Amino acid sequence: MLPRDCSRRLMAELQGALDACAERQLQLEQSLRVCRRLLQAWEPTETRASEPPPGPETNEEDPSPACAPSPQDLKELEFLTQALEKAVRVRRSITMAGETDKAPSLKSRSTVAPPGAIAFAPPQTPGQAGGHASDTRPTKGSCQTTVPPKGHSERQLLSLGDKTRVRTGARAPRPGPGLRDQQMAPSAAPKAPKAFTLKEKGHLLRLPAAFRKMASQNASLWAQLSSMQTSDSTDATAAKTQFLQNMQTASGGPQPRLSAQEVEAETGRLWKACTLLRLRMREELSAAPMDWMQEYRCLLTLEGLQAMVGQCLHRLQELRAAVAEQPPRPCPMGRPPRASPSCGGGADPAWSPQLLVYSSAQELQTLAALRLRVAMLDQQIHLEKVLLEEEVGGLERRRTQG
Amino acid sequence: MGRRRRPVDPAAGARAGALPEAIAALSQSLPSGPSPEIFRRAKFDRPEATPALWQLLFRVLAPLPLDNRLASLAPEVQARLVKSALRSQGYPRLALAQLPEDGSQGSRELLLALSWLLARGPVLEQMLAQTRVPLGDEMTVCQCEALASPGPPAPQVRAEDPVDVRHVQWLMGKLRFRWRQLVSSQQEQCTLLSKIHLYTSGCHGDHSLGHLSVAEAEMLRDPEGGQQLLRTLECENRRLEAVLAWRRTELVFWRWMDTVLDTCVLGVPAAASQGTFLPQIPECSGGVLELVAWELRALQEELQEAAEHRRAAWEAKAGGCGRGPEWSAVRRASREAVEKELGALRRCWEQDRDPAQPHVPHRLVRREDGAAGDRDLRAAEVIRTLRSQEACLEAVLHQLQGQCRQELARLAGALPGLIWIPPPGR
Repeated sequence: MLPRDCSRRLMAELQGALDACAERQLQLEQSLRVCRRLLQAWEPTETRASEPPPGPETNEEDPSPACAPSPQDLKELEFLTQALEKAVRVRRSITMAGETDKAPSLKSRSTVAPPGAIAFAPPQTPGQAGGHASDTRPTKGSCQTTVPPKGHSERQLLSLGDKTRVRTGARAPRPGPGLRDQQMAPSAAPKAPKAFTLKEKGHLLRLPAAFRKMASQNASLWAQLSSMQTSDSTDATAAKTQFLQNMQTASGGPQPRLSAQEVEAETGRLWKACTLLRLRMREELSAAPMDWMQEYRCLLTLEGLQAMVGQCLHRLQELRAAVAEQPPRPCPMGRPPRASPSCGGGADPAWSPQLLVYSSAQELQTLAALRLRVAMLDQQIHLEKVLLEEEVGGLERRRTQG
Repeated sequence: MGRRRRPVDPAAGARAGALPEAIAALSQSLPSGPSPEIFRRAKFDRPEATPALWQLLFRVLAPLPLDNRLASLAPEVQARLVKSALRSQGYPRLALAQLPEDGSQGSRELLLALSWLLARGPVLEQMLAQTRVPLGDEMTVCQCEALASPGPPAPQVRAEDPVDVRHVQWLMGKLRFRWRQLVSSQQEQCTLLSKIHLYTSGCHGDHSLGHLSVAEAEMLRDPEGGQQLLRTLECENRRLEAVLAWRRTELVFWRWMDTVLDTCVLGVPAAASQGTFLPQIPECSGGVLELVAWELRALQEELQEAAEHRRAAWEAKAGGCGRGPEWSAVRRASREAVEKELGALRRCWEQDRDPAQPHVPHRLVRREDGAAGDRDLRAAEVIRTLRSQEACLEAVLHQLQGQCRQELARLAGALPGLIWIPPPGR
């Protein structure tokens, strides 16, 4: 059996590691769910209370509700729809496109939008599943963006219509095209109704204007904050330093030279130093010097390393003295990050997010896998350290007790 | 307002009007910050301002995310934790430690503590950064904080039961399995992310980004959730504006805080007032210090032996070389080169911050050509850095495992009653 106190700490650390992994796994799975859902066909949200579908629908296949547009909205919709239909008819007569039946319904579909719709070009799912809701998306009144210029959406839709030949089944204001879902189209292309998928029509999405505005404001505010950070006003800095000094002198108590946090940070640095020095020593000892010059340098390096270790030990004695002066208080509120040998801690003053550019899925995978591997090694090292600490501590304790 | 003006600084009087502005900005930039009135009351040590300040200090000092466990702690416990955290950061005033934890008095001292924290570091910005709304798909390159054990070890480990080695080994196996799961889930997520980025390329208004992120696409798919995102973003913008306003007007606040400090009576607490401290929990830093000392001493011995050996060999070989001028020039050059190398090595551990491995999350952006701006990271470079980190860590782990084995062997020899267990973490 392991010594009791040794085992307690090791078990606690192991449990902590397991919990951290489990938590990370949960987060990943949640994110995976979201991603998978995004890549499937987008279901229109049916969560709203049932409302009458806008427009003079004769279409019976449309049970799913849309946002509740006001009567005025409905009127506007109607006008819009009719205007656009007309435009399409005119255009159609010019282009003599084959999919004439689709275009108007496409048009009506996507611009059946109250003034606050997303500029969302792709039409909605057709009546394949028996009245799957159509484009509730554009009609969702909760969005606050402006309607895109009609010409724009028109163009998009026409191109869409030409490309994908999607038919919108359900809510054509003109009953004809809608009900001709099942018929064979004149052109040879298959007319299978399609749901919206990111794969096919993702590139047609557009973010709402309100969001874009807010996001750019956000980015610029963060940038201002960053620049203000780096060029901090000297007046304010001086005032703060003065205040801190005043606090120190007015403290009316023994002044600790080093706070527990600082001791911990310094200890971490010394640990890192020890690791790096040891690695370097191994390198020097294993290298075979080719000539006397190299040999001389090797000697100097070893002696230099020795001196540095001496300095570290000296610093450690100072830390020990500081710690002994006031018994170190535990910091139960969150542990500071462990000083991994390969990275340092510390907050970066650049607050606004920078980019990480990748060029292929494989590259991203490699990156993520390596990142996890480093984290895993870090954790293993920590556990190993804990074990070592406990062993050494146990040995010392037994020596002093025995 | 009854502020006592400092006689030496007439300029402060002229800026008197800016103080309410500064305090208002501060109040708005703190999460659920106390009203400006609380600050003013605290200057006069009014008791009604105390509970709000305890809560605020707890929010500032507590590690994020502020989970339910921490948030639901009783006010007295929160107060005790605040005291402990401040103390571990080196808060100089003992008066704080003596405050009653029931929130009945001490608002002025708490105000001083808050200002002390604000003066020492960019607390407001840090808090904002921690609760930032991630609009993009973010990845933090260095995960040292993400996978640290969450908080102090939960007291579920029953101290009385001796631990079976097999149980430890089983837990290690479980940990390895969880890691494998993580890896495969992560791989899947990368594939999906990459697809989403690819399919939505060309959509984003901001051409430097080019494609949508998951959050943005999700907002389009589910406008209700998108509304929520929008609202949160709006809140964040407001807080950002408040922080910027604070930065512009904070000077007058610091002058004011000096006056607050003046009004404090210099209490001289007896040194033996340790009763309000927390009961002794096993120290976190003591053991590590001993371990590092032990390691350094062992290293010193090894180095001493190796260096002496080499020195002797060298003297024997080169003793006859003489001390000509070119010889001393060569010696000097070698010395300088070695010093430079060792200096670089020293910087490796002395520098707290490694610019090549920032801990700030980065927004993932997919670009066919992989072109990136100055301040951006390129995946290929990050991969290189991570590989070298991996190599370094593997070396360290290997070394540690060797030491563990040695140490266990010694223990087994020194204490015959002990059973030898193989070191974990292979």
